[in-house]
Amino acid sequence: MSITVLGVNHRTAPLEVRERFAHEPREVPASLARVLAAGARGGVLLSTCNRTEFYLAEPDEAVPEAVWAILSERLGGGRSASEYGYTRRDRDAVRHLYRVSAGLDAMILGESQIQGQVRDAWETSKAQAGPVLHRLFQSALLVGARVRSETGLATGAASAPSAAVAVAARIFTRLAGRSALILGAGDMAELAATCLASEGVRVTLVANRTYERARAIAEQLGARALTLDEAWEHFTHADIVLTSTAAPHAVVTWDRVAPAVARRQGRPLCILDLGMPRDVEPAVAQLENVFLYDIDDLQAVAAQAAAERRDDIPAAERIVGEEVERFWAWYGGLVVVPVLKEFRERLDQVRAAELERALRRLSHLSPDDRGEIEHFSHTLLNKFLHQPTIALKEAAQAGRGYGMLEALKRLFGLERRDDP
Amino acid sequence: MTASRGAGAFRPVVLVPHLIALGLYTLAAALALAPFAGLRPAPRALGLGVPLLGLAAHVIGVARLTSFLGVAPTLSMLALFLVALQAASEGLFRASAVGVFTGPLATGLLGLALLIGLAPEGPPASGRGAWSILHITVSVFGLAMLALAFIAAALYLLQFRELKAKRFGPVFRLFPPLERLDQLNHLALVLGFPTVTLGVLLGFGVRYAGGASVDAAQVVWGMLTWVVLGWAVGVRVVRHWAGRRAAFASIASFAAVLLVYVALKLAAPGTQRFL
Repeated sequence: MSITVLGVNHRTAPLEVRERFAHEPREVPASLARVLAAGARGGVLLSTCNRTEFYLAEPDEAVPEAVWAILSERLGGGRSASEYGYTRRDRDAVRHLYRVSAGLDAMILGESQIQGQVRDAWETSKAQAGPVLHRLFQSALLVGARVRSETGLATGAASAPSAAVAVAARIFTRLAGRSALILGAGDMAELAATCLASEGVRVTLVANRTYERARAIAEQLGARALTLDEAWEHFTHADIVLTSTAAPHAVVTWDRVAPAVARRQGRPLCILDLGMPRDVEPAVAQLENVFLYDIDDLQAVAAQAAAERRDDIPAAERIVGEEVERFWAWYGGLVVVPVLKEFRERLDQVRAAELERALRRLSHLSPDDRGEIEHFSHTLLNKFLHQPTIALKEAAQAGRGYGMLEALKRLFGLERRDDP
Repeated sequence: MTASRGAGAFRPVVLVPHLIALGLYTLAAALALAPFAGLRPAPRALGLGVPLLGLAAHVIGVARLTSFLGVAPTLSMLALFLVALQAASEGLFRASAVGVFTGPLATGLLGLALLIGLAPEGPPASGRGAWSILHITVSVFGLAMLALAFIAAALYLLQFRELKAKRFGPVFRLFPPLERLDQLNHLALVLGFPTVTLGVLLGFGVRYAGGASVDAAQVVWGMLTWVVLGWAVGVRVVRHWAGRRAAFASIASFAAVLLVYVALKLAAPGTQRFL
């Protein structure tokens, strides 16, 4: 019985590395299947622009190797992903997920977008998660919601989309009335577009590789749909360009946009690249009056707002601590029941066998006396089991059942898996 | 802008308001610079109120001057107009960062004026007083506008550099948006150029009316400076330059004004005449 998380995040790996680890939702089942095949009872893969983490229930010893192998393949160049990685086990793993969900482990303290990403990861991995991780992720979402409602950790504009607004506001005198072009159909671009729209920015054009998807988003935002190839000439007129495509390489290149930018007569152009991997070639930032920011830049801006949230960290950590204990009590209790059942069955088998042997030797006894002896054996067993059962249940309630359970299994040779 | 020597000493009615203004300008400069030293920014009311109080004291002091001629009164008036423009920039453009430059600059100019000596050095020539005052006031106001254009351009370039370099420190947080700085630069330059032109023409008029000759070097260098300033305005208005190029043009034109002034003062030193 154990819960483990293995992964990389913004603290352990730079953007260039993290973007190689990032999984599209369609890639998640295959990666999880490989890990589960190495020996785990359930898995959830949380992959965002800041982290790629495998949450695993009861992983065997070979599982970490499988995880690092998957990530190393994506890294390429013969490099080992484990150099960038970390491992948390049991309570620490639970605490880690709760902190992630609460925004305590985010690049931007208190960032709320992670809540949706945790939900998405859970939804995407549902078929492979197993009951323990189902419960863990459900509770993580509740912990995130509790922290945000009971503390000030989510106040202020500290998310990447809101940072996009802050950056644009340092370029333009007024955001109201500015025109924005959206490239791609990513959630981040949609979120950022919503934030900008709330400041009065008009999303006039939406371009995507597939025209139908562009049209669907454009209809939501009251904009006009384009294909990507049609979008480049609009770099002349747009004030803000938001990109969030699913392309594996940069789609906004110097060659494509430089002619249009040259016709802007010195007007500034703010390009917000929210894609992962990045959608905009870094050379585009060298164009005159073009201001290009990627996800790391925006998160750095938002980190300033997060600095103001630091006062709420102790309260948030206290909630996380409470919830970790609650989950661990549930988890401990979950595995106590089948082990206790097996323990009782095993001792009852011993009791029955010894009773039968004794009664064979005492064949002269009357049926009433035999019944009395059998009753005595039951009572004796129950008396013996009473205190250990109570102690084990109490330990489980207190979140200390795991160690006692292991001791019990070793002492009494209980081989059965403690499946929840 | 000429002055004649004469008797006179520091008069309290002139000195005290100037010293009060100097103290308040120093405080305003400190308030403007404090956030860049990692301190909490002052409330907007305080950031605007302190220089305005200084300005009020300064206006009283300048009004008591019996002569506006000479370097010291001109520097004092330049400081006054700079602070007035700083307050206007804050009020109209929310460009409080202008104070980062104007605060220390006005403090320095006023301090220098006090060091040189603000007391009248002699009675102004009769019949020229009103026109001289108008000429000096308009010229100095124009100069202050050009200084504001220069400051806005410098702020623009600093913010531009920070935004391009993706540095999100105090400049990013405390400076106004790029576009607003560009607008401030544009406005100051477009208003400053005709104001300076008018001031210079008034100066020629005052001199010719008084029968005084104008130094040929001043005419030649003055014309060249005027052409440079005109070019900076022209590229903005006619060729629609904006952003960094326009900021460089603005800085170049103001630098030309300063260089020519320094060169002319080196050629004819003295504090009796501003130019």
